[in-house]
Formats: sequence, C-alpha cells, structure tokens
Amino acid sequence: MADPAQGVLQRSVAQEETQKEGRRRWRPQWTARMALIPAMMITIFCFYGFIIWTFVISLTRSRLLPVYKFTGFDQYARLFANERWWTAMQNLAIHGFLFIGGCIVFGYLLAILVDRGVKAEGLFRTVFMLPLSMSFIVTGVIWQWVMNPGLGLQEAVRALGWAGFEFNWIVRPDRSIYTLAIAGIWQQVGLCMALFLAGLRNIDPNIWKASRVDGIPVWRVYLHIITPMLRTVFFTVFILMSAIVMKAFDLVVALTGGGPGFSSDLPARFVVDHILNRQELGLGAAGAFVLLCTVIAVIAPYIYFELQKERSGRGH
Amino acid sequence: MTKFSKVAAIAAFLSAGVSAGALHAQTAEVLHWWTSGSEQAALAEVRKVFEASGGKWVDTPIAGGGNARAAAVNRMLGGDPAAVFQFSIGQQLRELADQGLLANVDKIANEEHWDDKLPPLIVKAAKYDGEYIAAPINIHGENWMFYNKAALEKAGVDVPKSWDDFVVAAQKLKDAGIIPIGLGGQPWQERIMFNSVLLGVAGREFYADLYSTLDDDLLDSDTMRKVFETFAALKPFVDEGSPGRNWNEATSMVIKGNAAFQFMGDWAKGEIIAAGIEPGTTVGCSFAPAIDTAYIMTVDAFAFSAMDGEEATPAQAKMAHVMLEPDVQIAFNKKKGSIPARLDVPADSFDSCAQTAIKTLQDKKTHLVSTGLFGVPSAVSGAIDDSISNFWNSTDMSPQEGQAKFHQAISNAK
Repeated sequence: MADPAQGVLQRSVAQEETQKEGRRRWRPQWTARMALIPAMMITIFCFYGFIIWTFVISLTRSRLLPVYKFTGFDQYARLFANERWWTAMQNLAIHGFLFIGGCIVFGYLLAILVDRGVKAEGLFRTVFMLPLSMSFIVTGVIWQWVMNPGLGLQEAVRALGWAGFEFNWIVRPDRSIYTLAIAGIWQQVGLCMALFLAGLRNIDPNIWKASRVDGIPVWRVYLHIITPMLRTVFFTVFILMSAIVMKAFDLVVALTGGGPGFSSDLPARFVVDHILNRQELGLGAAGAFVLLCTVIAVIAPYIYFELQKERSGRGH
Repeated sequence: MTKFSKVAAIAAFLSAGVSAGALHAQTAEVLHWWTSGSEQAALAEVRKVFEASGGKWVDTPIAGGGNARAAAVNRMLGGDPAAVFQFSIGQQLRELADQGLLANVDKIANEEHWDDKLPPLIVKAAKYDGEYIAAPINIHGENWMFYNKAALEKAGVDVPKSWDDFVVAAQKLKDAGIIPIGLGGQPWQERIMFNSVLLGVAGREFYADLYSTLDDDLLDSDTMRKVFETFAALKPFVDEGSPGRNWNEATSMVIKGNAAFQFMGDWAKGEIIAAGIEPGTTVGCSFAPAIDTAYIMTVDAFAFSAMDGEEATPAQAKMAHVMLEPDVQIAFNKKKGSIPARLDVPADSFDSCAQTAIKTLQDKKTHLVSTGLFGVPSAVSGAIDDSISNFWNSTDMSPQEGQAKFHQAISNAK
C-alpha cells in the first residue's frame, strides 16, 4: 500500500518541480510587474492625469472653482501680457543659471579641498553638510536677517567702523534675485560636495600615481582627467539641482516674499499665488503648463544627450 | 414581527432620527483664521453667547486667510462643508453662491432689519441675488494714520491735514533723525498707503467712481497723475529696511518713536494696546490727510454652507443672529480693534479712535470700501497690488509710467 502511494507522491512532487521550473521562467517578471502596477497607476493618474487636467483647466475661464467653459488660449494671452510673469520667468533663468552653476563650482571645489587630505576632514564635511538639514523656509529666514540692511551684515560691518559698507541687495529691486542664489547655494552646496567627494574617492589611485610620474601639475589632472571621469556625477548634480530650481517656492516666500515689488518672483510662486490667493485657477494652470514646457525644453535635450552618450559608452 | 412592533420600531427609528436631527441643528462647526491672541479673545465673545443660547460650537481654526479660504472651499467641494466659515465678502463669495454651495440667511436678516442697520455698501456686498449670503461682523478702517506724538513734538510738526503739509512735515522729521514713515514693504501694505493718497488727493467721489467702474478715462486722468506724483514724493521718507517688513513691526517702530507715522488699518490698535498704550494717547490716530472726510471700510464676515437646501439651518440662523446682536457687536469689536458693523450700536465704551470712526460713519457720504468690496474680482485687486508695489519699489519709474502700467495691469486682469 505504501509503494504506490509513494509513487504517486513522488510523481506529483516531480510534476510540481517541472511545473515550478516552468513557472520560474516567467514568474519573477510577472510578480515584478504586479508589484509595479500600483506605482504605475499612481504615476499615470496623479502625474500624467493631472498634467492633462491642468492643461484642460488652462483652456477654461475658471477662477475660484473649476468650470468647464472653454475660452481657447485666452488665459495664455493674459499670461503673456502679464509683466509679473515675464519678470518671474527671467528670474528663473537668472536664478537657475547662478544656483546650479554655483552649486556645481563651489561643491566641486570644496570636495577637491576636502579630498586633498585636509586635517579634520570629518569636521569640515559636517560643517558643509549642516545647512542641508534645514528647510528652505528656515534658510530663507536666516538669510533674510543676515541681509537685512538694518539688522544684519551691513549694520554689523558698519558698527565695526567701515561706515560706507553697503550690502543691501535684498531691498534693491535690481539685485534681490541674486540673494536667492546666495541663500540657495549656501544650503545645497554641502550635498553637491558630498556627491563630488564620493566620485573623487572612486577615482583609481593609479591615475594619480601615473600623472605624478609624468609630472603633470595637479590642477591639470583635475581639469583634464578627473573632471571628465566624473561626468556622471556632474550629471546627477545637475539634475538634482535643476529639480530644486524648478520647484523653488518656499525659499522665495521666506526670503523676499517675491519683493521688493515683484522683482524676485519665481514662476512657481506666481502659479501658487494666482491659484490659491487670487482665485485665478485658469491663469495659474496656464502658468504651470508653460513652466512645464519650459522645463522639458531645457532639460530634455541634456538628458537625452547624456543618456545617449552613456549607452554608446557602454557599447564600446 | 407583529404589526404593532413594526410600528413601534419605525416610531423609535424616526424619533431617534428626529432627536439626532435636533442635536445636529444646534451644532455649528466654525472655520476661521483668527488664531492670534486678540482675535481669539474676540471670537470667544461670540462663542460664549452662542453656547449660552443652546448652541454647540465646534471650533476649526486654520492659520492664514488664504489657507482657511482654500480649506473652506475644498471641504465644500468634498461634500463635508463647515456650517459656518469666515470668508471675504465680494466676488469670490458670489462665485460660491453661483455654484449653489451657500445657504442664505435672508430670513433672519429680514426679521432683524439688517438693511437699515448696516452701511448700504456692505449690504450690497453681502448679498447675492437679493439675498444675504454672509453675516458681516465688524468694520475695519483702512485709511488710518497712526503717529507718535513725542516724535512729532521733537521735530516741531503738527499732524498734517493735507498731503502737501505731510511732505513738508516728513522732511522736518527726517532732518531730526526720525524715520518719517514706518512702512511694511509688502504689496498689500503699500496698497493701503496708496489708497490713502488716492482718497486724500482725489477725494471720496473719485475714489468710489474709480474702483466701482475701473473706467479708462478716470485711470488716464490728470487727477490720477497727481495721485501717482504725490505717492512717488513719499518714497524718500521710508527707511531702507522697509521691504518685506511685517505690519506689526512697522507699528512697533511708531510705538517706540523710531518712526513717526504709519498708514495702516485699525487692527494696528491691537499692537498699540498690547504695548500697554491706550490708542489716542501717546500714539495718536487720525484719518490720513484728505480733502474730504471718508472712511475706507473693510469687513470681516462669515458665510454659511448649504447643508440641505438654500435656507440656512436653525444653527446657522442662530449664529447669524448672535453675530449681529448689539451686545456681542460691542464685546467682539472692542477686543478685535474694529467697530460694529451695525451703525446703531452705542459708541461710548469704545476708545477715542473707534468713537471717531463710528461718528464719521453716521454720515453716509463718508462710506467707502476697500477694493475687493466694490465687486472687483480678486484678480484685479491682485493686479492693483502688483502694479502699485512695482511702482513704489522702482527707482527709475516716472509717475506717468506708473500710471500707465497701473491702467494696463487693470485692463489685463479684467
């Protein structure tokens, strides 16, 4: 009685095994896909869905509430006739250029200095990273005080005896946009330094040895050998900082409030202000959509170029 | 189940429903943005009376007017509205009414003759389709000029009665080392000062015509040019640290005597009282210099969500009644620093600034309202703020250019 039963058992086990084997080939993919479905749904609905919805709203004359009375591209015409919008867009370009450029240059320089074997490296790393632990709101408030002409740096230096010292950018409409870059770089430079430092630590020490043998000056090694090798790190930093620039909202609110006048306004603040405070849903949506198109126009070619390069690099 | 027990069950169910309904009728959730000390104390006066008359008050404070308005609208759209919510009366509230989201309190308003007791301009702003959709609880004035008496004495100047006098006085103050105008450099504060100049230079009729019609000829007129010229002449009298400053910091500059004047709404009295000074004593108040007397009113109001149908529920009606009861109006407004929305409330127990305001408003010709209450869409009031602030902060824009840009901004936003 035991034998046939065992036989059956064995057979079924064997069957199961072959079945399992068959499943094993497709199951992991299938589970992975299953696991990705929620994320995909969220991306499709919350991201692309709302992009489409924003575009639809921007074609209506919605003010406080969404109403679906379409007016063509009227909201865009109003947006493009709005002086404040163009100031905000211009500011985005200035701020983006200075902030991303500043973060990359200063972050890289700090990383190089730390990497050159400075004493108490841990201390410096911590000091440079500390601002990152603060939100943009806190950063904004701190710098608002530092740059306030009556309370901060200007007053402090004047009290030291240098009566003619001037640092009043935050209250000057033609300079206020630069204060955003200063505060932003101060906060984010630590992160950039950490990323660059990680990249520098991955450089093969033999490269240094070889360059020393060849008698190449240190700065040329950095400029012509190390920097091209860190291409992917530069790419990462650029993408991370671009994202921060595009959504820059809290820093402006806390630091300048868009002022004086609207001289330091940024598009994100323009959009939020018009949707939430001015009940201009349609105009705000139009602004958001134009902002998105701008981002795509600027970032997409760079990403495409970099990814293309990486792919062909891998092929070799 | 017997027939009798069925009936009993239905009866029990119904009575349960009715008593739950009755309980519900007495409960009102109140959504508002009054979170500071004096504001909370003022609202507590309303709550006290509402609860004493059998109501149950569910308090939902949300800091910041913009946030609270957004929350009120979102909850309405989400199907879970707060029964009573603070809102600005004007175009936005009408839009909510247009979508059928609001209940009207017309019945109680008619019973209590609000039409006769509130200023006509506010009656107009609080109505949609001839029915009251909001209960105005107070009146704040925006064309006040607060000044430090000691600072004026030190520089040897009197309280100016015209803007020309003001410029002369401001120069003397500046020479004496006092900041003539303590200004918080935020767009809405700059607009408050601009409106004071507008009223003072162009007069009350021009002000009312301009903001109620936004007429092209008025915007292009020489009078408007003069307004911009006067406004520009004030630029040298503000200190460097002004941009971005909060209004209460500017008020404390006046209290301390670092600055001589502040143009601000009468909520500044709250700061003065908090500093232990009775308004009208060492820190004086008067209307901003003007060619005729007028009071630019702005109103705090509560609106009512449609809970079932257009009619207000008993709890909502009770709230509207309590808010406009004379005793509540006095107690609330003394704490809030404003004056009663009803003009028939005795003025004796208020401070001297408020008494001046109440007396002034007895003459209906003095009635003016801030931009939004003229039914101007918030987009236009926003554009007005933007262009005034831009002009004020620009170092090289001529009054002509400022006027042209002001006109253009309004045309674009209309």
